[in-house]
Amino acid sequence: MTASPSGQPSLLAGLSRDLAATVEQVGRSVVAIHGRRRIPSSGVVWRPGAVVAASHTISRDEDLTVTLASGRTTPATLAGRDPTTDLAVLRLEDAAVPPVERGDEADLQVGRLVLALGRPGNQLTASLGLVSAVGGEWRTWQGGKVDRFVRLDLSIYDGFSGGPLVEVGGRVLGINTSGLSRAVALALPVSTVERVTDQLLTAGRVRRGFLGLAAQPVQLPDPLRSRLGLTGRIGLVIVNLESGGPAEQGGLLLGDIIVTLDGHEVGDPGDLLAALGPERVGQPAAVQLVRGGELRTVTVTVGERPARRGR
Amino acid sequence: MSVLALELGVALAGVAELLRRATVQVQVGARGEGSGVLWRTDGLVLTNAHVAPADRARVRLSDGRVFEARLVARDPECDLAALLLPPGEYPVAERGDAAALRPGELILAFGHPLGVPNALSLGVVHRVLRDDAGAPRWIQADLRLAPGNSGGPLADVSGRVLGLNTLVAGGLGYAVPVPVISRFLERAGPPASGRRAA
Repeated sequence: MTASPSGQPSLLAGLSRDLAATVEQVGRSVVAIHGRRRIPSSGVVWRPGAVVAASHTISRDEDLTVTLASGRTTPATLAGRDPTTDLAVLRLEDAAVPPVERGDEADLQVGRLVLALGRPGNQLTASLGLVSAVGGEWRTWQGGKVDRFVRLDLSIYDGFSGGPLVEVGGRVLGINTSGLSRAVALALPVSTVERVTDQLLTAGRVRRGFLGLAAQPVQLPDPLRSRLGLTGRIGLVIVNLESGGPAEQGGLLLGDIIVTLDGHEVGDPGDLLAALGPERVGQPAAVQLVRGGELRTVTVTVGERPARRGR
Repeated sequence: MSVLALELGVALAGVAELLRRATVQVQVGARGEGSGVLWRTDGLVLTNAHVAPADRARVRLSDGRVFEARLVARDPECDLAALLLPPGEYPVAERGDAAALRPGELILAFGHPLGVPNALSLGVVHRVLRDDAGAPRWIQADLRLAPGNSGGPLADVSGRVLGLNTLVAGGLGYAVPVPVISRFLERAGPPASGRRAA
């Protein structure tokens, strides 16, 4: 037993031991993934035989191997990846590695002491910090839906992405990534990891609705708004149509100004993305638009966003 | 306010005081200041080779006394240097066990980053890089260091010195661990003989 300067058993020594014990315990489920040219990246055994990782750290889809905590290296196959949430899932032949224990939403509190673990090679790495901010649902710059915004106050080192965010009691609160924000460390919460993992393990991909258009916000002139009875101030003017895409097939034209989608006002391209979840693929969508000063509604059958090769 | 958090703060302050007594400021010529650690009660001071490039250095103790110290050993390869203060009795820090460190353990750095005297940093062990025989080569630390921390102590939560903070790379602190320092001192031989580094 170490003693503090006052001769009391040290609180600090106890805390230090607890942190190291948590790192060691959770570290058994943290693996190194060999899927890029530089140093290996980190992954987490999320379910028996299934490893979750950060999509941007795995640059190839084949010839993947994983080094387990035991030091053994074993082949793995890519079940699928979702670049929009920066998640990838690998299947392991070895189902004996214990999955991590997941925490719940209630653990995501600002101020919680957390550890970020990684395994960029044989050895485990650890960083200490805090949950800095927690917010609601948000969309990544690629349009992926993340259930909670989790900003971390801790340093990003090599091997950070794909590693687990761990509360000091040892429960995993999410998967860390530096691939969704340039400036800060973020974590994808458990619910998002669960949802994407389900989809990748069953379908190999995350389906997303697709219209095949690009649009920019424009201000709607007041006289037009009052004449057509529009409540929104902003519409989306179509600046590009993919040839043969759902929007073009539905009869949308360049220059049309979209004002609602299925009755919901759209004032930002993100509103379109938000309305195009996996459940919309193949379904009709009512697009209300202004063309030549007149309001009309066009029905478009939502397509599925084509898979893009990329990380 | 929780009692536990208060006690933690008090405990950290206690460790900071232990480290403050054993940490010195090292200045050579007009160069910026680095840090050093009082290693032996007879006045042997350990610092980085890049902090002490000359035969002599000005060393300021935590009690304000300033001495002219003599360089007795220097090895740029492992970036270590040993300075000797005038004969006397000096306070030293205990040494900890760098070989047994585990990722996640709390660690503290003390020194004079960017000229700010007596600054404490708190972090955790990121990992220990080892040689083929398993002996620690570097302690990688997840904590905030800056120029001026060089040569200062990296310590455990009991104030026992684990190594000398030496460089920052990729945002991580790198400390030369005690076993490497011990081998450096063995190679250098007994400083009492007045041996001088070339």
